[in-house]
Amino acid sequence: MTLTAIWLLPLIGGLLIAFMPPHIAKYMAVLVALGALAIAGYVAFSFAPGYNRYQFIEAVPWIPQLHVFYRLGVDGISLWLVVLNAFLTLIAVLATPVLMKGASRFIGLMLAMSAGMAGVLMATDLVLFYVFWEAMLIPAYFLLWLFGEGDRPGRAALKFVLYTLVGSLLMLVGVIGEYVFTGQQTFDLAKLSTIAPSASIQFGLFFVFALAFAIKTPLFPFHAWLPDAYAAAPTPMLITFAGVMGKTGAYGFLRIAIPLFPDPTWLWDWRWVVPVLAVLGIVWGALMAIAQRDMKMLVAYSSVSHMGFIVLGIFSLNVQGQQGAILQMVNHGVIIPALFLIVAWIQDRTGTRDRSAIVGLAPRMPIMAGVFLLVTLAALGLPGLNSFVGEFMTLLGAWQLAPVLAVIGAIGLVLAPVYMLRLFQGAMYAETPYPKRVDDIYAGQLTLLAPLVVLMFALGLAPGVLTSLMTSVAQSGLAR
Amino acid sequence: MMYPQMIAAATPDLTYTWSQALADLGQISPIAALTGFMLLAIITDLALPRGRRGGVVAMVAVTGFTYSLATAAYRWVYTTNGPAYHGYATGDSFALFFEVLFASLGILTVAISHPYLQRRGLREGEFHVLIMAAVIGMMVLGAATSLVTVFLGLELFSIALYIACGFVRTDSSSQESAAKYLLVGGFASAFVLYGMALVYGAAGTTLIPEIAKRIGSSSSGDPLLILGILLMGVGFAFKVSAAPFHMWTPDVYQGAPIPVTAFMSVGTKAAAFAMIVRVFAAGLPHLGPEWQALLAFVAATSMIVGNLLAIAQSSLKRLLAYSGVAQAGYILIGVIAGGKQGLAAVLFYLFIYLFMNFGAFAVVTLMSSADGDHDRIEDLDGLSRRSWPMAVLMSVFMLSLAGFPPFVGFFGKLFLFTAGVNAGYTWLVVLAVLMSVVSVYYYVRVLVPVWSPSTRSESLGASFSNWFAIGLSGAASLGLGIYPTWLLLAGQLGAVPITGQ
Repeated sequence: MTLTAIWLLPLIGGLLIAFMPPHIAKYMAVLVALGALAIAGYVAFSFAPGYNRYQFIEAVPWIPQLHVFYRLGVDGISLWLVVLNAFLTLIAVLATPVLMKGASRFIGLMLAMSAGMAGVLMATDLVLFYVFWEAMLIPAYFLLWLFGEGDRPGRAALKFVLYTLVGSLLMLVGVIGEYVFTGQQTFDLAKLSTIAPSASIQFGLFFVFALAFAIKTPLFPFHAWLPDAYAAAPTPMLITFAGVMGKTGAYGFLRIAIPLFPDPTWLWDWRWVVPVLAVLGIVWGALMAIAQRDMKMLVAYSSVSHMGFIVLGIFSLNVQGQQGAILQMVNHGVIIPALFLIVAWIQDRTGTRDRSAIVGLAPRMPIMAGVFLLVTLAALGLPGLNSFVGEFMTLLGAWQLAPVLAVIGAIGLVLAPVYMLRLFQGAMYAETPYPKRVDDIYAGQLTLLAPLVVLMFALGLAPGVLTSLMTSVAQSGLAR
Repeated sequence: MMYPQMIAAATPDLTYTWSQALADLGQISPIAALTGFMLLAIITDLALPRGRRGGVVAMVAVTGFTYSLATAAYRWVYTTNGPAYHGYATGDSFALFFEVLFASLGILTVAISHPYLQRRGLREGEFHVLIMAAVIGMMVLGAATSLVTVFLGLELFSIALYIACGFVRTDSSSQESAAKYLLVGGFASAFVLYGMALVYGAAGTTLIPEIAKRIGSSSSGDPLLILGILLMGVGFAFKVSAAPFHMWTPDVYQGAPIPVTAFMSVGTKAAAFAMIVRVFAAGLPHLGPEWQALLAFVAATSMIVGNLLAIAQSSLKRLLAYSGVAQAGYILIGVIAGGKQGLAAVLFYLFIYLFMNFGAFAVVTLMSSADGDHDRIEDLDGLSRRSWPMAVLMSVFMLSLAGFPPFVGFFGKLFLFTAGVNAGYTWLVVLAVLMSVVSVYYYVRVLVPVWSPSTRSESLGASFSNWFAIGLSGAASLGLGIYPTWLLLAGQLGAVPITGQ
């Protein structure tokens, strides 16, 4: 029941909270999110390192006629993402202004989305995985549409949903195909990873699964939904939307595409196609980030670049690469919300996100400048802060796969300081300070950011805490 | 070519005892009971003063449907069920499944049409009697094991519906709808009848189990049978409103009063699928390749045409009509796949389609007023302000139709598609999921006015029976999704008489 509680608590809480008055709603939501985080923390603390299989298993027959089970479990791949999801949900709830219109409904939907993502990360039955995967789209759609920014949030929401659905509905064929073509009539992920269909079938199934994950991640060139959706998404939503939902795509590669289809080779080998796209995404995202004038869009495209590293690490198919990828998922989940929050706060104070209009803020808001600098340095991968370790490991892994991929990927590392420092310096420093008086960061906002910043240091200095529980699992993912 | 079986078939058993008569009546007791209640409803309508009639007849109708449902459920659990009337009808689990389905549909229809008819100031008594007659026809279709009985049921429910479509006598679009339905429906019936005649010519019997025995795979090239299958297939496709024989659907749906549209959209489809399964899967199993090819073509066109044309609709009735065309395509995948798995998926889907599609129509009935039906998508404007539970329920119906988990529509599709892939129709399933993406666009478009900010805030005026029908449909759309096992089991048991295991 432990794992069930992690997703069911926010779901039920969310449904109830949606109908409470805003002040109580936020208070209750914080409690619910804290509860889920506490349970997730308990799971992490009592997690047995070195045990490669699923832990905290729950298995109940659901649709016996189709051998569908309600199966949950965590292992070293999903553990930290589950914790990250619970943690970011708490941050997102805290970041939601009580005075926003329809705050209760917003918080309720946020919790429901978080429940869906937790379910995706914990499901170990293909059908259950698919159910959560699709179900989390419903709150995401309503959040984007009803609370979105910009003139046509409905369009962005619909674009996001339709893009994702093209992939995920084809994935449904893959789910069924895996059931039928393995000849074992099971949806159990643990069992399916020990049996593989013939290479040509793997080739087809890998494609449908990988397409769904590639769109969700998003992997270049399937990222067209991302700029619109991220532009429309309100900031509290972005914390979990960018922080966790994108990772569910990368997680899908790691959990399903690689273990279930060890040899997807027929007309060509898919295991080469994906890393090449990942590398292209790294460079493309970085170049697009450099070209952005809108600060939020810059961060959004930097995210495309970072997700490229993660996928590259996953498809390096070795321990360093995959561990680095998981680590980087957590890192990115810590950094991206911080960046989006800072950008939103700057926008609150200056009324714009246009980089050309925002100059010389540092003298007006010295504390904000300091925090922003830290986050910027973390995002561009300064050693000692968290992102460095993850990116280094993914590139190390990629080098073992093919040096050329690592070299091109490293271009992304070179470009990251360019766009990040330009973002930071452009906004903060200039010959003359910003013409109007603006408030510095509020204490409440600083407390909100504090845990993220602490984590940036902690994960940068002691990544071993995380990797110690991952080690064996990334290996087991490869062992078959 | 010679058909020696014809001579053998000419000697039926002519002894018929009282006990046999009672046993036969028992097998069709859900239908018989409902017929009794229909006669009672007619008498009530005649006997009572004008002002009182409507409500009382509605009560009689609901009681009749409930009694029929209870009888069918009782027989499902407790009695041995089998053929009756020399094999012309049956009370087997397949029939009982559809009897439960149609009785539930009847209850829901009366529940939404009672307030609707009052709102529009229409006469009530005849309406409920017509619905009861149509349900009886549909039940006969489910229980039919002879081509003759199949046609009897088909005509019985069609004639009742021709009248029901034109029920608003003062409204020319309702008249137009009735006329169109009559002409096209008569046309389809003629096709079915011609096809049946040819199959009879080839088999020498109208009894479906006998046909299955006499027509082996050796007669697969027989032109009589090919033509018979083709003609019946066309007629059936008309009735399930599958493309390219769907043209009547949007026009008829649009003109008919909404409760009739809601009733037809579920009932006609389910009844016609019962007919397809009985005649093709049970009657002509050895000619599978022939009718499967025909139905695969029909399924593919339905999914493409239905989903693409639904995008452009501004009327909810037409939108749901085209969505129904597409859904017929999905369900056909299960029929084509066949076997226990495929047919169970078909039965499952038909039952859940009752809740999600009927629920959606039921919400639209609330928009109508004395001057007519308001079924444009914009008429849903401000629904979330006018009544948020109704807005939530409408969202559940749309998301379920679109196939989003955890709502039941997803599981229906999962079962259909699994059967399809299992039977080797992966291409059809891939087409189905791609067209499902298109369908999400128009289903979600319905939700835009529901949740968008609006100035309308007047009360919906939903009565208790509205809430009952819509709430029940919504609860089923969610509840059967969270726990689909029992309904799927019922579907599997219902498919046993066809597959024979």
